[in-house]
Amino acid sequence: MKKIKNFEDVVCPFCGTLCDDLKIILEDNKIIEVDNACAIGTAKFFSSNVSEHRYTKPMMRNNGKLEEVTWDEALNKAAELLANAKRPLSYGWSSTECDAQRKAVELMEICGGVLDNTASVCHGPSLLAIQDVGCPTSTLGEYKNRADLVLFWGSNPVHAHPRHMSRYSDFIRGYFRVDGHLDRTIIVVDPRTTHTAQMADMHIRLNPGEDYELFNAIRALCRGVELDVKEVAGVPIKQIKELVEILKSCKFGVLFFGLGLTMTKGKHRNVDAGISLIRELNEHTKFNLTPMRGHYNVSGANIVFTWSTGYPYSIDFSKDYPRYNPGEFSAVDILKTNDFDVTLIVASDPASNFPKDAVINMLKKPLISVEPHKTPTSEMADIVLPPAIAGIECEGTAYRMDKVPIRMRKVKNAPEDCMADYEIIEKLIEKVKELKGE
Amino acid sequence: MKFFLTTGRSIDQGVALEGQKLGRENVKACAICEFDKDDFAKLDCMIGTPVKVTTNFGEIIVYSQISEQGPHPSIIFIPMGPWANAVVDSETYGTGMPSYKGTEAEVEVVKSGRILTALEIIKSYK
Repeated sequence: MKKIKNFEDVVCPFCGTLCDDLKIILEDNKIIEVDNACAIGTAKFFSSNVSEHRYTKPMMRNNGKLEEVTWDEALNKAAELLANAKRPLSYGWSSTECDAQRKAVELMEICGGVLDNTASVCHGPSLLAIQDVGCPTSTLGEYKNRADLVLFWGSNPVHAHPRHMSRYSDFIRGYFRVDGHLDRTIIVVDPRTTHTAQMADMHIRLNPGEDYELFNAIRALCRGVELDVKEVAGVPIKQIKELVEILKSCKFGVLFFGLGLTMTKGKHRNVDAGISLIRELNEHTKFNLTPMRGHYNVSGANIVFTWSTGYPYSIDFSKDYPRYNPGEFSAVDILKTNDFDVTLIVASDPASNFPKDAVINMLKKPLISVEPHKTPTSEMADIVLPPAIAGIECEGTAYRMDKVPIRMRKVKNAPEDCMADYEIIEKLIEKVKELKGE
Repeated sequence: MKFFLTTGRSIDQGVALEGQKLGRENVKACAICEFDKDDFAKLDCMIGTPVKVTTNFGEIIVYSQISEQGPHPSIIFIPMGPWANAVVDSETYGTGMPSYKGTEAEVEVVKSGRILTALEIIKSYK
């Protein structure tokens, strides 16, 4: 007799929208149905079922090949590498829950290593800008109920946050937005006519890499300054003036910005200009902004690292106290300068996601991967420690993109004796302490 | 032909990364270069013909496609992954963030050329 279990209000551990209305049906510890999730969230839940893509036992490289070993063997070897390292680099941490992130800080502090999370190649520049000029922000619930103008800048939620528009920013009915989509104006600023732009009321197609210029042109026009040019960033002045009027006359506006600002020329300066525009608009109306965070708990990684060390990412413990310097202690820069001797990657795949020259250096030195699935990083690693998947096979807390903490549920058991990320790191801490005689 | 290369998420890339990173799903989702419709016409090739994308930082062969998210003249889009990262600028300019968007790129149609899998690309770096 097959045992069927139903779960309601399950939280999706994929993107920063952290949808909390999923329904999961389980048959003998195998997920057989996922309702309400987007295509990516659905794929994530199904990917937890045991398959040829998933590790169920720890692995260690022997004569060039990954071979199954016991947990003790794998953990002892990993701890030995970390304890003997002069400057280990630990990176990832955004696709796991907050307890594991807390343990990450402890482990890297003991090892005198460098700790970075995926914000450094995501919204790290946004954090730099927010540290410089602040950030008027609110929760997604407030936006849903109040915002009559939604501005997506360098962000394509149809692809990256597929349910964002239906849950918070466009189609959903809100307390003051009773007609949902019809009660909101959607504006997209993007060099491509993205699927989000195709659904918008207005699309501003700017030249790639000229966001900074456009933000400042809008700011100038907001102040009533006349610009003696026909276009800025490839956008006709007439269209920019039309945009300014819409922005100034809304009741409650929100800027959702994405990696179109942080990954292009200007990086944190683009976000700085965006925040300055919002400050300007608050002279005329109510306007807020929120970064569209990618990994489901990258906000949590920034928050946990900040309350533990004072800094959100790119933290160095080599002097026994935390130091912060993106551009020096960020994972890509550490790898490029070869200033590390071991890497511990947790819940991330930098081999796929980092530029080529950073990956080349990463592969030159011992690599430990805490990862449930086969990825280019884990397949090139020397040790693979397969965890239970947070938010599916173990519970934990994650922070939504608006920094609202949400408790994630466990819906199924992990395969074999896979432990949660925080348990694996806890064991590594114990063993490293033992080896260091602490 | 010269282009601005931008990289980023796509929903197919997102689906493929959930437990499919070593498989063909990932190749189909990410080993592609999306062109503006009019730019693609100038390439004078069939959809799916391999193209070599060359930048100051490397080169990669990927499948050509007409973008559903156009028009975007003179911009090409490769979804984030090992294919895009073979040709982007790793310089972070002191921020920690590499320049994943806005790399100048040259594109040529290649009559023959194998599209590598994600793992084959990474193994070639070892």
